[in-house]
Amino acid sequence: MGKQTWKERIPAFASVLGLLVLIAAYYIVGAVRDANVAYGLKAIVNQSVVVALVATGAVFIYTLGSFDISLGAATGVSALLGAMAYNATGSLVIMFLVCVGVAVVLGFINSSLASVFNLPIFVTTVAMMSVLSAFMLILIGWNGAGDTVKVKARDVRPLDNIPFKVFILVSYIALCWFIFTLLPTGREAKFIGGSPVCARLSGINEKKLGIIASLISAVGIGLGAFLTIIYAPTLTKDTASSIGMDVIIAIVFGGMPVSGGPRSRILSAVVGAFSMGFMTQIMSMLNLGSGYGQMIKAAIFLLVVFIALGSQRGKLLTR
Amino acid sequence: MKNMKRILSLALCLMLALACIPALADAPVKIGVLVADATGAEALAFRAYYEHYIAKAYNVEFIYSEELNTADGEKNAIDNFIVNNCKAIISFSSVDRPAQIEQCDAAGIYYAVATGTLTAEEYEEFKDYEYYVGAIGPSLDTEFRVGYDMAAYYIDQGMTKFGIFGGAVPYRTDMHIYRAAGMLCAMIDKGGEGAAYQGVTDPGAVIGMIYGTGSIETGKIGSLELMAYVGGYDFDDAWFGKLAQMAGTEGIEAILTVGSGVDVLGSFVSGSNVKLATVDSFTAAMGEAMNSGIIDYVAGKFATSIGPIFVATLNAVNGQPIRDNDGNALALDQGYWVATDAEQFAQYYAVDSSSEDPAYSKAILDTYVPAGVSYDDFAAFIAQYSFDEIAALKK
Repeated sequence: MGKQTWKERIPAFASVLGLLVLIAAYYIVGAVRDANVAYGLKAIVNQSVVVALVATGAVFIYTLGSFDISLGAATGVSALLGAMAYNATGSLVIMFLVCVGVAVVLGFINSSLASVFNLPIFVTTVAMMSVLSAFMLILIGWNGAGDTVKVKARDVRPLDNIPFKVFILVSYIALCWFIFTLLPTGREAKFIGGSPVCARLSGINEKKLGIIASLISAVGIGLGAFLTIIYAPTLTKDTASSIGMDVIIAIVFGGMPVSGGPRSRILSAVVGAFSMGFMTQIMSMLNLGSGYGQMIKAAIFLLVVFIALGSQRGKLLTR
Repeated sequence: MKNMKRILSLALCLMLALACIPALADAPVKIGVLVADATGAEALAFRAYYEHYIAKAYNVEFIYSEELNTADGEKNAIDNFIVNNCKAIISFSSVDRPAQIEQCDAAGIYYAVATGTLTAEEYEEFKDYEYYVGAIGPSLDTEFRVGYDMAAYYIDQGMTKFGIFGGAVPYRTDMHIYRAAGMLCAMIDKGGEGAAYQGVTDPGAVIGMIYGTGSIETGKIGSLELMAYVGGYDFDDAWFGKLAQMAGTEGIEAILTVGSGVDVLGSFVSGSNVKLATVDSFTAAMGEAMNSGIIDYVAGKFATSIGPIFVATLNAVNGQPIRDNDGNALALDQGYWVATDAEQFAQYYAVDSSSEDPAYSKAILDTYVPAGVSYDDFAAFIAQYSFDEIAALKK
């Protein structure tokens, strides 16, 4: 076990270095294009915070070597029901509790179904995604106010500020970091993700951990749903529809392997989500058009992941 | 060597600074464009008019959003425009227009609605906002009328058996519901004694009923019959099966579509005697469908219809907003062009797609650029939206 050289260390920090490079590029492009850089930072936080929340919770599921494709639909349903609860009661507290509560119930259903039928969580989430997408349409129909469910913007405006959002994000990250790093749950999840057979033979209850991971992830979904309403209180059938894919990109961009295991890190999700936010702003400032912008984003994404996974290439699979 | 480096650095800085001077002097006005559709033929036609004609005719740069279908997407896109120092935003996206107006007003950038209007309540709320330029486009009354006229066109020809494709009616999209309601109301009005839809005859009740169910019931409407209905955009086998079944319904004479008629039903009616009518746009693909006899009636937005809202926005940016006597923003209704044969369609399309001399050319638009353009003059200009009226303006 010799001391690691800087070349060996680079992959471990590639995602953070990538974020720092993107921040530097953001300021340079902003200066050249005479952009409103300060306003852009606020926009980046607004645009990244929901993905960061949902992705941070999803790290638990990904660490197990599993995969949840229903994150966006679950966020959408939680937000719709939260908004409808607010319209019925006029209470932001009840809206918050409904958002989180619905997400937790959905997470519990997902993981329980996987447990009862002995299926991978991924399989149940595929089914759940279809059910929830259809349920969103039904909810909008029930609401009976056109193709949207609306909360009055002025009612939620007091909470639509950066300090509140950052407070929610930091609190949730701290909670997840505590569970992931300091409690046995995180270590066991990494063990299962790294080597499911060995973990099982060591007496780790995979199903129980699956349920715990889903519930922790669900809290992130609920918080994301709440902040979605706060930010844009007009909800449609497409609300949060892109979150599922954004979360996968954020987690991989943040340097975490989608196969989970011991190299999983809670902060990967945040680094990835904010890297995407900076990249989006840079592309926007360059006004390249969505086609070229997407291609450049894809190229940067591949480069960062290539460097981040550099240390793993040529080695045996971690699982 | 050190001095040489300093001299070179200074020279480079001077060159950069000099290079910036003409750029600053001629810096175009940046206008953000919010789009709900980035790839459809209609959207591309709108974009081509702005980028290939307007941007060359005026000193403006258009920055486009990605395709938007959520309120948070709209908010993000406006934030991105603000970061880019856009002076104004023209919006084709309507998930949450009040939020868009509020956001732009708070940021101090002008905001205008293209190809749409605000509801009466929304207009009352925002009409005196300093940075709200206004809206020019089909009102919901116009949407109702376009559906009504389409159905009436075939009923007046003696047809009695119809099908309706409701598009986004299941998703409670306002304009599709109003168009469908217009079709049903034409059937009620022209269906003879006792004609009613589900027992109601009042347009408001018909609209309310469609909002309530998110669907349209088939059945007799007086002497007329709505034989089939399909809604939604599922694009799965079952949905295509329903469309094929509707096109093949025994005795059906015409299928009225609230939108996307050629795309979803063209292949099913091709070669049959069933007439297909749609609300769409004047594009090359639609022209081909008209030539091949697939489509029979097109009520279409014309690409250059967005010229006047650009002028109104540019005037506002230049400090000459067009307001009414009470200082309120624009709220002007603009309808569709209707083509009922291939020759007429070709004539409309040739003018609408021209990047040299489009319907709303610079010569026409420049009439309304100078300071002091009155609301009434501008409103009268917008009211002359038919093909023939615009052609007359050119002369």
